[in-house]
Amino acid sequence: MSDEAVNSEAGFLLRFSPAQRVEHFVTMVDFVGLVLTGLPQKFYTARWAQWLIGNLGGIDGVRWIHRFFGILLIVAVLWHAVGAMRAILSRKVGFSMAVNKRDFTDAVTTLRYYLGLEDHPAAFDRYDYKQKWEYWSLMIGNVIMILSGLTLMYPAVVARFGPGEIIPAAKVAHSNEGLMAFLVITIWHIFNAHLHPDVFPFDASIFTGSISRERMAHEHPLELARLEGREPGDHGHGH
Amino acid sequence: MPMRFILVLAVVLLAAPVRAEIPAEQDSCLGCHGSDPSMTMDLPSGEKLPLHVDQAAFGKSVHGDILRCTDCHTDKADYPHESKPFKNRRDVTVAYYEQCKKCHFSNYTKTLDGVHFQVAEKGNRQAALCVDCHGSHAIGRPAEPRTRVSETCSNCHKKVFDVYKSSVHGKAVTQGNPDVPVCTDCHRAHDVADPRAGALSLRTAEICGRCHTDPKLMKRYGLSTNVVASYLADFHGMAASLQKGKKGKGDRLAAGCTDCHGVHDIQRPDDPKSSVMQANLVKTCGKCHAGATADFPKAWMSHYEPSLKKSPLVWSVQIFYYVLIPFILLSLVIQIALHLWRVVVNR
Repeated sequence: MSDEAVNSEAGFLLRFSPAQRVEHFVTMVDFVGLVLTGLPQKFYTARWAQWLIGNLGGIDGVRWIHRFFGILLIVAVLWHAVGAMRAILSRKVGFSMAVNKRDFTDAVTTLRYYLGLEDHPAAFDRYDYKQKWEYWSLMIGNVIMILSGLTLMYPAVVARFGPGEIIPAAKVAHSNEGLMAFLVITIWHIFNAHLHPDVFPFDASIFTGSISRERMAHEHPLELARLEGREPGDHGHGH
Repeated sequence: MPMRFILVLAVVLLAAPVRAEIPAEQDSCLGCHGSDPSMTMDLPSGEKLPLHVDQAAFGKSVHGDILRCTDCHTDKADYPHESKPFKNRRDVTVAYYEQCKKCHFSNYTKTLDGVHFQVAEKGNRQAALCVDCHGSHAIGRPAEPRTRVSETCSNCHKKVFDVYKSSVHGKAVTQGNPDVPVCTDCHRAHDVADPRAGALSLRTAEICGRCHTDPKLMKRYGLSTNVVASYLADFHGMAASLQKGKKGKGDRLAAGCTDCHGVHDIQRPDDPKSSVMQANLVKTCGKCHAGATADFPKAWMSHYEPSLKKSPLVWSVQIFYYVLIPFILLSLVIQIALHLWRVVVNR
């Protein structure tokens, strides 16, 4: 075991650095804040929405809270972008979220496995294709939300530089993209981080930072092999 | 006549000791108050209080065959009348105004929530009381004809009435068109809301919507009934609806109907005087949106639903998400279902 990140005694490995854990925590709180103050504005005629808005200080208060979390999101995304740039530039770490051809073949292999056409699912590296898809969806979604949100915050400024129609278009985009993010997170993220049979009831690695060697071998065999200085496939799959 | 008067008076006076609580009959009052049109009383203010009652006008009024004089003038059952220290004519009106509530209690209670009562309570003696709008002896049905309502208000609110008279609604009222709103349709009659607080303008969607969502009425003028729905679906409508419960000046920030279309001066949108006429829009939007420039008004889709023709960009974004959201969610759900199915099969 050459890597310091591997704690062989307890059979646990370090998966996320403290900075990454903080980033996830901030994003999580921020997301909840944005959803709680955003969705009731979209569905404002519903009773639950009016109850929520009333309890969060009325519509004027809710809009200020939403803006606060929106600006926090901008900061978080910029912070993340700087970190990602540094990772890309340092040859040692690299950019493990980069999508490559293998992710597409992995997706096909895994779907074939679900359908019974393949004996084993694809073996994944640090992030599997589902995680990359969620990451990139979130990233693109964040950019859309930030740009459309700023447009809605400063409509008169935007109309000075572009057609006025951008503003209602931004509203439609903000409202739908936000709803989609909420639905994707509730369905996909909650399934994969909570209800997934491998991690049920709760995948705590993003909070504790560590992951069991057993789970690594099962979910990220390629990364594990690399960390342990082996050729992938030495141990075969986690099964 | 004098002979008859004396006879009647004699009967009343004779009956008085026994039936003092029974008010004098109409005729006996009119014996004095119905005969001489120039009958007046001098008040300390120098005003003359007319004491003549137009019998024919009272007879034709809504109360003509219901009320007797003393039903309202309760303190005048005895003769000679007890003298009251009225300084001026307004004193007389104020002193008698609460007589109406004996019968019209629910409308009287409503006035207690009205702006006229609020200012009266603060000491404004000119604030409208029942008789200022309804009249006293010649009370008719209030909205017959409807045009009378706004004219009644104009007795005090002359300036606003003149503005209203030249608006699209006011012009039609003057031509006898019963479809358009008169003052009380928006402001209400007895519990007249204080328009200065801003609470009224947050309710405009509901107030204007009463007519502007009525298909039968709007069809007559070729107007859309979708104006309120499209307003409520957008940002202004959302914010205004949620601010509705609030009162006070600083609280509101979302535009209601009247903030763009005008209040008493509403004109057709194709009228050059209209605040929502294309050429005037930058100024109208600029009332709230500081720094609004020529293209800013296009941020509002003028009550139109986005379409390929009207707002292609907005329409495209909408279609994009209508397709994308179900596609993404369905893909995710199918993958989760397949995954779980595989887990079950493997066991």
